[in-house]
Amino acid sequence: MAGLRDQIVTFIAALRDGGVRISVAESIDAVNAVAVVGLERERMREGLAAALIKDEADRTVFDESFERFFAMPRAVRGTHPDQWGEQVSAGAGRGKPGNDPSPLDDAPVRKPDDPREGAGASRRDEKSQAPDAKHAKKGSATRREGAEHEDGARDSDKEHGRERGEADARDESQAPGIDAARVARLRALERRPFDQYSILDYDEAREALAPLIRRFRIRLGRRLRLAKKGKIDFRRTIRAAMQHGGALIDLNFRARRPRHVDLVILADISGSVRYAAQLMLELMAGARECFRRVSSFVYVDHLAEADFEQGHLVMTPALDLYARSDFGRVLGELWERRTGLLTRATLVVIMGDARNNRLPARADVIREIARVCRGVVWLNPEDPARWGTGDSAIKQYAREVKAVAPSRNLRELQAALAAIR
Amino acid sequence: MEITHEQISDGLRRAKYVTNERVETAIFLALALEKPLLIEGPAGAGKTEVAKVVAEILHTELIRLQCYEGLDEARALYEWNYQKQLLRMQAGENQGLRWEELSEHIFSRDFLLERPLLRAITSASRVVLLIDEIDKADEEFEAFLLELLSDFQISVPELGTLKAHERPAVILTSNRARELSEALRRRCLHLFIDFPGTEQERKIIELKVPELDAKLAAEAARFVGAIRKLGLRKPPSIAETLDWARALVRLGVRELDTDAVRTALGVLLKHEDDRAKVEAKASSLAPRRR
Repeated sequence: MAGLRDQIVTFIAALRDGGVRISVAESIDAVNAVAVVGLERERMREGLAAALIKDEADRTVFDESFERFFAMPRAVRGTHPDQWGEQVSAGAGRGKPGNDPSPLDDAPVRKPDDPREGAGASRRDEKSQAPDAKHAKKGSATRREGAEHEDGARDSDKEHGRERGEADARDESQAPGIDAARVARLRALERRPFDQYSILDYDEAREALAPLIRRFRIRLGRRLRLAKKGKIDFRRTIRAAMQHGGALIDLNFRARRPRHVDLVILADISGSVRYAAQLMLELMAGARECFRRVSSFVYVDHLAEADFEQGHLVMTPALDLYARSDFGRVLGELWERRTGLLTRATLVVIMGDARNNRLPARADVIREIARVCRGVVWLNPEDPARWGTGDSAIKQYAREVKAVAPSRNLRELQAALAAIR
Repeated sequence: MEITHEQISDGLRRAKYVTNERVETAIFLALALEKPLLIEGPAGAGKTEVAKVVAEILHTELIRLQCYEGLDEARALYEWNYQKQLLRMQAGENQGLRWEELSEHIFSRDFLLERPLLRAITSASRVVLLIDEIDKADEEFEAFLLELLSDFQISVPELGTLKAHERPAVILTSNRARELSEALRRRCLHLFIDFPGTEQERKIIELKVPELDAKLAAEAARFVGAIRKLGLRKPPSIAETLDWARALVRLGVRELDTDAVRTALGVLLKHEDDRAKVEAKASSLAPRRR
């Protein structure tokens, strides 16, 4: 069985190349799993998947690699086992199953007019076979029992039947894959940098925001809530002790007063960072109840109040989105409005790339704001490597604020927002 | 008892749990390799049901630990029975027992309140332990579970380490309310249960609601499959599909046309905007009359 073990190890290496994280313990599990479930193809596939794939988003990589490594033995293919190995390593090295030009990959059973480009094409093939397989469905229910009784003479027939059954099973498991597909899409979207967003990406991100908001609200709520430790509540402690005959076993603490946080959000909606800013505003609007009061502002060269009405950003007064951003002036305007807005309970979150068109940065105003507030946090959607280059004034602001957090994509944005306190 | 793949598929069939090779293999592996099985998937796809079915297959008890925010060791693992200990101490004083004898006595198994995890470990026969909605528990609790999941043992300071005689079959479920740690994932086998396909759902309806006409069952399955793809706030679960199928029976629906769909939609959809969305498209979704 050493050959098979090696094959599994190479298979795991290929998965790791594909970005799946697999520990040594999991590879041991995988070998054990195959030993237990045997070599029947579908079972082996699912066995390996259960042991190796811990995130449904990785399943596509797994399925593609599995097709490449443990392909069906076909008449053309089975010339010499050595060829398999070569093919495997070649495929693994390239790491791109999508365009494996190997002629051996083509099966004689396929229709000749199909364009073939590796995995993508074979999936299409299965789709095209699906109606065919539907007819065979009644048969495929009893396929397993039937197949066991078949003798060697009808091998090729069995082969074909199994292949159809497999397409059938795949079709069934993939057709409804709403949630799996959503999870995978969300993953990819969370990692895409804002500066590469198209309007389509933005729409998709907004649709995906609902579950994120829920998750975010839980995280933020937990963080803002304080641990139940503090002064001992003597009365309640004694009362509890009565249950134990007067022995002070449980200490009861006085509940702390809930902490109020007012939030002031300032978001740059000029061209360069507008997607990031709008998504942040929406995310924070969803977590409104974690704070006592939330005031949102957007700015380009002036400050404007922002609100969400039926999912659309509304600002008063309207801003010229193509003006030259001037953060210094915006800070000045915020400072003028400070009465009632900026207090010791206020947390100011600023989102922007701090590219000020070489206008005065006014870091002194931000220092004043930081002095009267609970804290100022800056979220920068720009790559940290570019901070402080050109007309970026982030380095000057960074000296005055509590924290500057990179938020290049949804994932970073969420992490940065969840860390505020 | 040696378990075979066929036993599992038979058992699932007998328990009327319609499934596919993926679920079967994962359950079989979890039992054969004695590893915990982590099941993820959308709400209402039948995750918890797996544990119940496994308990049925193994003819054993199902011990369930429902996770929630703030779940701690005292609720999940064990707790000392203070009252009983105090009574014992007072009784001991009257008898004039020395402290050493006493302390040895009051920290024994008699004074331990077993919570689900400890019960699963100390049980004499193999049980099924269901840790439901692990994503709802705090991260600290998840870390605490690691010892249990990898070695099937629990450390109680006063008693030492308790090791399982018979490793329980552990099943964890998660709705992804938060990401689980890599460490936990590494220790488990993984299974993702999605909503069933149309064909599979039809089988489920036919099994569980045999009163419904076969043609109607197929149409209902197709309809539910279609509305799940609309991107609703809460797509209908399998249980809701079955409720709906039963509602159709009770309403005496013969054909699944637009009106029939509208009347019982409240069984299937639990949000007003979902309902509006589906009603707007009901005419195109409802199967045509032949």
